[in-house]
Amino acid sequence: MTMVEQYPTFSSSGFWLLASGFSLRPLAFAFATPMFFAAGILLAAIPIIIHILNRRRFKTVQWAAMDFLLRAMRRNRRRLKFEQWLLLATRCALLFLLGLALARPLGCDRSSFAMLAQRSGLHVLVIDNSYSMAYEADRPDAKTHLDQAKLLAKGLIDRLTAGGESVAIITAAKPATAVIASPAYDLQAAKDAVDRIEQSYSDTDLVGAITKANEIARDEAKQPVKFLDLFTDATRSAWEPNQKDALAQAGRDAAQQFRITHHSLARGQQSNLATLEVRPSSNLVRAKFNNEFLATIRAFGGATDSSLQWRMDGQILPGRTTAVRPSADSPPVTLTDLPMPSGGPHVLSASLMTDDRLKVDDTRWRVLEVASELKVLIVEGERGIGAMSGSGAFLNLALAPPAEAGSAAVTRGRNTSSYVAPELISDLELSNKVLSDYRAVILCGVGQIQPGEADQIRTFVERGGSLLIFMGEPVTAENYNSVLLPRKLMPGPLTNRVTSSGDQNGFNFDFQPRGVLHPLLSIFAGEEKSGLDTARVFTYWQADIPSNSQVERVLNYLPAGATPSTNPSRSAQATNADPAITMHSVGQGHVIFVSTTANDEWQSFCAKPSYLVLMHELLTGSVSSGDRWMNLFVGQPLEIPANVKLTATPSLKDANQTDIVLDETRSGNGPATYRSRPLTKPGVYTLNTGERKIPIAVNVPDDEADIRTLDDAALTRAMGEAQMEFEGDQLPALAASNDSGNDYGWSIMAIVLVLVGFECFLAMRFGHYRKGTI
Amino acid sequence: MSETVADYRKYLDPRTLARIGALDLRARLIVEGLMTGMHRSPYQGISVEFAQHRPYVSGDDIRHVDWKVFGRSDKVYLKQYQEETNLHLLLIVDASESMGFGTVQSREDGGSKIEDRALSSILHSRSSPTTWTKYDHATAIAASLAYMAIQQQDSVGLAIFDQTLSRYFKPSNSPGQWKVVVNELQQVPRWNKTNTGRILDQLAEKLTHRSLIVLISDFFDDAASIQKGLRHLRHKKHELMVFQILDPAEIEFPFEDVTLFKGLEERGELLTEPRALREGYLEQLRMFTDELKRICRGMNIDFQRFSSGDSLEVPLSQFLATRAASIK
Repeated sequence: MTMVEQYPTFSSSGFWLLASGFSLRPLAFAFATPMFFAAGILLAAIPIIIHILNRRRFKTVQWAAMDFLLRAMRRNRRRLKFEQWLLLATRCALLFLLGLALARPLGCDRSSFAMLAQRSGLHVLVIDNSYSMAYEADRPDAKTHLDQAKLLAKGLIDRLTAGGESVAIITAAKPATAVIASPAYDLQAAKDAVDRIEQSYSDTDLVGAITKANEIARDEAKQPVKFLDLFTDATRSAWEPNQKDALAQAGRDAAQQFRITHHSLARGQQSNLATLEVRPSSNLVRAKFNNEFLATIRAFGGATDSSLQWRMDGQILPGRTTAVRPSADSPPVTLTDLPMPSGGPHVLSASLMTDDRLKVDDTRWRVLEVASELKVLIVEGERGIGAMSGSGAFLNLALAPPAEAGSAAVTRGRNTSSYVAPELISDLELSNKVLSDYRAVILCGVGQIQPGEADQIRTFVERGGSLLIFMGEPVTAENYNSVLLPRKLMPGPLTNRVTSSGDQNGFNFDFQPRGVLHPLLSIFAGEEKSGLDTARVFTYWQADIPSNSQVERVLNYLPAGATPSTNPSRSAQATNADPAITMHSVGQGHVIFVSTTANDEWQSFCAKPSYLVLMHELLTGSVSSGDRWMNLFVGQPLEIPANVKLTATPSLKDANQTDIVLDETRSGNGPATYRSRPLTKPGVYTLNTGERKIPIAVNVPDDEADIRTLDDAALTRAMGEAQMEFEGDQLPALAASNDSGNDYGWSIMAIVLVLVGFECFLAMRFGHYRKGTI
Repeated sequence: MSETVADYRKYLDPRTLARIGALDLRARLIVEGLMTGMHRSPYQGISVEFAQHRPYVSGDDIRHVDWKVFGRSDKVYLKQYQEETNLHLLLIVDASESMGFGTVQSREDGGSKIEDRALSSILHSRSSPTTWTKYDHATAIAASLAYMAIQQQDSVGLAIFDQTLSRYFKPSNSPGQWKVVVNELQQVPRWNKTNTGRILDQLAEKLTHRSLIVLISDFFDDAASIQKGLRHLRHKKHELMVFQILDPAEIEFPFEDVTLFKGLEERGELLTEPRALREGYLEQLRMFTDELKRICRGMNIDFQRFSSGDSLEVPLSQFLATRAASIK
């Protein structure tokens, strides 16, 4: 390694002096401030110039005792010359060395000269305290990787020179935090700061940590040498992040400023079992229905036999524990036919019963917002006289079929056993409704929407509500295009109302049960007699969907004269056909657009059994489960949504019943919103809203579980081919770490001080300051 | 001590004397200043000596008849304590060029650094009326000693020399001798080189009476030749007192900056940094002075070194003490 490579910061501003010295190795110096070196050379000439000038500028004295003077001169001529030259050389050397000291020569790498140097520079220690560093290795003095990293960091600090070298400390768990952002020369304080680093339960933010290190290096540009020491477990999760390019760029930037050393805490055959995800198989978990859940479990570093234990609200689900042997790509474990006891939030957890060395990711919790009564607002544009003559009548019936006589629902006063509780209103009543009371709003052939109403709907959807729009005779395209479309509540402008001619039998959906289906239609996959392919639509509105929009085509119309394709590659995303059903997102909610009516006015589909299934699928597929805010990762804050009813000031407790502060913010006269700081520990928290307690699941990030390690070459690639040195989980030998980064400035300054004293001594010894007589 | 006494004693300070041009006045003031500070008259020590009785012969002055003896024995004897037993004081003053060096300034010019005074002496060498040279110091001592001797009716002679014996006056106790001595001392020397040994040889041959010889010089000459001359004088049974006069700058060598030293009496030049050479110079001067002391001590000669910046009280007191001791 050449010195230029070791000190790239100064290779451009400084210059290099190569020499040979005590060591067989080549010596090299660089100067932090080379101008002082040049000044030192010039200053060294000053005593000579003064000496010459003094010889030319003298006083003349008539002197009587000349014999003694001449005799003294004869006797001391050689000594006087020696003294004069010695004094002159001392003064020249003093000024030269003063300039040299101020120039701060650096380097002398791996040579005997290194012993003379006072080490100086900046050491930035990046300590990964993400949860993978909680891996318990068999080390006598350190239980976890993080404990060992802290030992290494403190050992490194112990080797630094007090007063000469400074330390900055950054933790790499997300979010990367500069524990000591302004480099500290108090090495004991730096060690104390290392001791205070806590085990985090979030994933690794190596990009953020290295970026912070680069910022510190830029702020400390005057530091002659900078070292970046990375203490990580070299895992894929840390070193192969989603922002690979950002990490590579940060690595390249760091290499321009630092001498980088990676201290790998990884052990050779470390492995980890982890539960990465628990989720329901469908979008909506419904009470009294059997639900299906999936648990994604993985084994990184080697498959191991284990068992997966399910719990509901903390209680073990009897008979549901299953033996598993997870691998790096094993399929999800399914929990089927699980009836939910009641509506509201419930905590489902899956735990791997294992004794692996990283336990924090063995259990994962999921808060399920079980829908026992999904309130839906159906807005009719046409109110009929008959029972089924309204534009939303068929839909109302499909979503909430009448309960059988004597059923429990009838006993409780409801006339349906459906989890859906639709409310049928006229479009004239829409403006009087509080939409946040509903999970979905369905417009059935509504003629015109007022802008105020559209704004309410837009806000409703943005906050997670679902909007289903059905066409109908009263629909005014101009109003929809001018009111709903600008608010992104339509997939595209309504361009043309298409009606089949008299000799046609209407239009068919382009449905192929064996083809590629939209997820909303997945329930019809393989169903040859679902009726979707034979349903007829006589009239529909064409919607012009831009090709580059985010609108998903759920179902298209079959072009005139065409037959349903058997080509499984043809999907609903074909853009040359008119869309029958589309879905797109607005904020946290979804908008479902159906280009025909919800009743039988323009189609015969509602008479088929598949109509009921499709309507439920559209509803449940678009309705947000509403539990997203209750399922968080470590590092995320809790934000209480506005639709959560608060009857008192909310409070939050973590799994250990420790109070977590909720910050209240209020904008204008609006309602107060509450938000916590990033939650730092995994577990089930409890939010008390006054009238009820809501569980909040906080899980460790799933991408940190992959603790398979990377080799040095992979780490180098991840850092953008930055030059790095690699060490293990022990500090290198002292001599090896002391061989560079030497700043000779203070040592030479010490020589200068000695020379000043020597010069004074010489001047006094040679009679310059002496008085007296014989 | 009264104010009058203090006023007189200030004339023992060269810085005061430098402002007094007339040497005879200088000498009187010095001696009066010295005498008023003493409790017992120094004239007692050098009082008239009784030599012997001899029978009266015709023609003798009857004033010298010892009438007490005549009364007791009816024999006429004369008391004899005339000229031949009087003190013969010979003052030998070095008037070579080196004696013209001086850095001591009068009271008006005082207060400056010695080095500055030395430089001033370069500019005003032997020409400034306010610079007190070694020669001024030597003549002041010589005149004062002459004055005291004349007051005692002793004979006083004077020799002024450089490389030759330029002036010589035989010792005499005549009343005009004082004027002669002072006039000669006031003459501006020719500032030639010196040759002390040869001059002392010449004087040893010239002197017929046993004398008290006071030699005043800086002795910047060959020590061996000086030793030879002194030995010659001692061989002639003369009593010797040697006063070495040095300027304060020669004693302290206070120069700092690079200096070109131009030797008086054609002794060459030297451009040097004085601070570096100071120690060696002072060592050489000390060695030479020690050599002079050793020579004098070997011949029972009183040797004293004086700075021309010091008071004149010391050499004169030394002289009187020496005289008193020799009389006893």
